[in-house]
Parts: sequence; C-alpha cells; structure tokens
Amino acid sequence: MRELRWWCGPASGAWDWTWQPYVGVWLFLLAIIGAYILLVRRLGRPEPAERRARRRAVGWFATGIILLWGALDWPLGPLGAGYLASLHMVQFLLVGVAAPAFLLLGLPPETFRRIERAPRFMKLLDDLTQPIAAFFIFNVVMTVTHWPSVVDTLMATAAGSFVVDITWLLTGLVFWWPLCSPVPARPRFGPMLQVVYLALNAILIRPPFAFLLFSRYPVYATYELAAPIPGTDALGDQQLAAGIMKIGTAWIMAVAAAVVIYQYHRRKGFAQST
Amino acid sequence: MRPSRELLILLCATLVGCAPDAARSGNDRGYRGVVIPEPRAKPAFTLTDTRGEPFDFRERTRGYLTLVFFGYTYCPDICPVTMANLGAVMRELRPSVSRRIRVVFVTTDPARDTPERLGRWLRNFHPNFIGLTGDFDRINEIQQTMGLPPAQLGVPDSATGSYLVGHSAYVVAFTPDGLGRVLYPFGTRQVDWAHDLPKLLEDEWDDS
Repeated sequence: MRELRWWCGPASGAWDWTWQPYVGVWLFLLAIIGAYILLVRRLGRPEPAERRARRRAVGWFATGIILLWGALDWPLGPLGAGYLASLHMVQFLLVGVAAPAFLLLGLPPETFRRIERAPRFMKLLDDLTQPIAAFFIFNVVMTVTHWPSVVDTLMATAAGSFVVDITWLLTGLVFWWPLCSPVPARPRFGPMLQVVYLALNAILIRPPFAFLLFSRYPVYATYELAAPIPGTDALGDQQLAAGIMKIGTAWIMAVAAAVVIYQYHRRKGFAQST
Repeated sequence: MRPSRELLILLCATLVGCAPDAARSGNDRGYRGVVIPEPRAKPAFTLTDTRGEPFDFRERTRGYLTLVFFGYTYCPDICPVTMANLGAVMRELRPSVSRRIRVVFVTTDPARDTPERLGRWLRNFHPNFIGLTGDFDRINEIQQTMGLPPAQLGVPDSATGSYLVGHSAYVVAFTPDGLGRVLYPFGTRQVDWAHDLPKLLEDEWDDS
C-alpha cells in the first residue's frame, strides 16, 4: 500500500493499479451522509402519505453519494486528477452535473418547507437560483474550471483538485436547483422553459469544448506531462475529453428534459382524470 | 556504492527542476528552450544502433538538426513523456522540416535495453527515431562531453530486481552546423517543440 493521501492530486510516477486510500474523500462523503442523517432525523417520521416519497428521496440521495464516491475515490479520482483529461471530464460529469441532481432529489419534501422558514437563506437562494443566474453561473464556472491555465494551476496540488471538485459540486447544485426544488416558487419557470433551459445547456458550444477538440497540440500541461498510460496519447485523450464533455452533458440534459416532459404529461393526465 | 531510490529521485527532480522556468520564459533569441551561452561541439562517438550495427553519431547526423536524449526504456515517466511529445510534434511538422531533424535516444541502461527492445520501444513514438546503446561507462563519458551529468544506477528492488536509473532530463539540440545550442528540460511541451524546431533550422547563428 502506498502512502496515505487526503485527496486526489497530480500524477506521481507511472500509473499502476495499486489501490490507494484517499481519506479526505471518505471524510467528505461521511460528512455529507452525516448531515443528511441528521436532517432526516430532525424531520421526524414522515406522515403515512409521505413515506413513499421519503423512501424515494433516500434512494436518490444514495445514488448521488455513490456517483460522488465513484468520481472522487480511487481509481477514477487519481486517474482524472493526474493522468487523463478524458477521465477528468468523466469526473466533471459525475461531480458537477449528475450527482448534484440526485442529491437535490434526495432532499425530503419537508426540507423545502423548513427552508421557507429561513428568510435570509431564501433570499440568497432566490438570487442564486434564478434560472438565468443559474445558467450563467454554471456555464461561466464550467468554462473557467476547464481553462488550461486554471486546470494546470489547480490540479498541481491535492488542495487545488479539492477546490475544483467542490466548485463543480456547488455549481451543479445551483444549476439543478430551479429544476429539482419547489422553493423558491417560480410559477413562470414551467415545463416548457425548463426544457429550454436544459436544451440550451445541451447545445451550447462552450470555449473549452472548442479548444479541446480543435487544438493541434495538448492544452493541459497536467495531462501532457503526466506519465503516459499505455495505449493513450495526450492529444487523442484531449479530443476524447471534448467528446465526453459535449456528448455527456447533452445526454444528461436530454434525459432530464425527458423526465420534465414525462412528469408534465403525468400531472396533466392526473388533473384531467380528477 | 549504488545510490538509493530516494537519492535518484532527488537527482532527477533536481535535474528536472534546474531550468524549466528559464525554458518557459524564453530568452532573447525567442526560444522556449535554454540557449547555451557557449555552444558545444557535437561529440564524435560510435555506439550500436537498434539493428545491432555501429552508428557513427557525428557522421550520420551531419547537416541535420539533431536532438539527443539520454534515458532508458524502463523509465516510468520522463523518458516516455519526452519521446511521446517529440514523436507527436514530428508527425505534425511539415515534411520539409521533419526530414531535416534526427532524434537520437541513447540508453543509460544498456544492461536491460537491448537493441531490439530499444527499437521496439522507440517505434511506439516515431518510426524514424534512432536508438543507441553501448558500454555504460562510455555512455556516461559521452554525456559529460555534452555537459550533462552521468547516469546513476539505482538499487535493484529485492523482490522484482528492477531498478531506476538517475539520468539527466535534458534534450540537447545540435543545429545543422554541428553545435549544441539549446537545452530542453523536462516540461518542454509539444507547443514549445513546434515553435522551436523550425526556428532552430532557420535561424542563423553569429558565434563571433
């Protein structure tokens, strides 16, 4: 076993498949799980009518945690942080796009009623999660955190890698909040606009995608100068990263849009039948 | 006495860390590598190539921009990265440029790097790379004539018998006039090579 590391960081020598513990990742996940358990306990036993929703929420939350764990811990964590830009992008999809949606869906419905009782927090949420603001924040942060000089600076240390991961997670929460949370109420942000919100994110060509795909030479020193993994080359890996970024994001947005449309029709059908 | 693994790593790190800032910041001639203030003459030596035949270095590289790197095929990081980056750039350069360049890899681990192994390994990066092997002490002498520190063999692992080799991480660039003019430390990127290689062929040097 190698030395203990708290978070995934830059490559150290050639990659091998020796398992490596990342204590910071475990503590981070345990802290989120602990906070969730505390929250659920505080909410108390749900009303019989809400028990199914509570069970479902716990399932969504567990899915979010599993996605985070898979993205941050060995082997994906160190491979993405120090060796392959394509896996760095897979991490981004998991930490910054997929997991936040599940974590938000994992909040029991009663949580939102409690949030409404905290006016200051509600005000902050209201400002941050305006769909236009959320869209802007998500895309700016996504662009900045994939900018070569930013990546090369931050991924040079475990602390920088931690900052990137946390930034992705928080930005992802902001992005999904208008879609997954009933508070603050946004009656004008209906299913049609939600689909437009998702579709715009799916089709938008962001600068990192363009330079990752079309650059003649590798743009990230982190991955270009890392010990090579047999069968990969820096430029091909970078182009694969561009594909994962574009297709992966588009696919997640498409699934989310399908869910929005399905729920809309289900609600409409339910309203017509009653 | 053979140096410990830690010492070798320290040596590599020191060699790697000596000049990258200078390399990246460029210099008054506009190179991304480090221009050698007093150019060094291309040394004359004969080693064995990957076909097992003698290779007269000075004669066979005469008139070419020649990039020389000392390393070994079991190297976990610096050597494969350096050669992969050079190979990638050589494929991207115009043929009129790339055919005027010779890349020579001299092993610092002749005990394990047989000509066949060396050839196989180099073909992973570029079919035209030249691999040379020979006597360990002779190779170290050659390195020293180029102003590079000699390689040092590490302590073999008790279980696997494998060992590291401490070696310089510089590529020495000899311009077609036969003088070593620019050093490239580890950390030189593909974009840096793509910038410097055509320039090394085109520039005229005033050595007076």
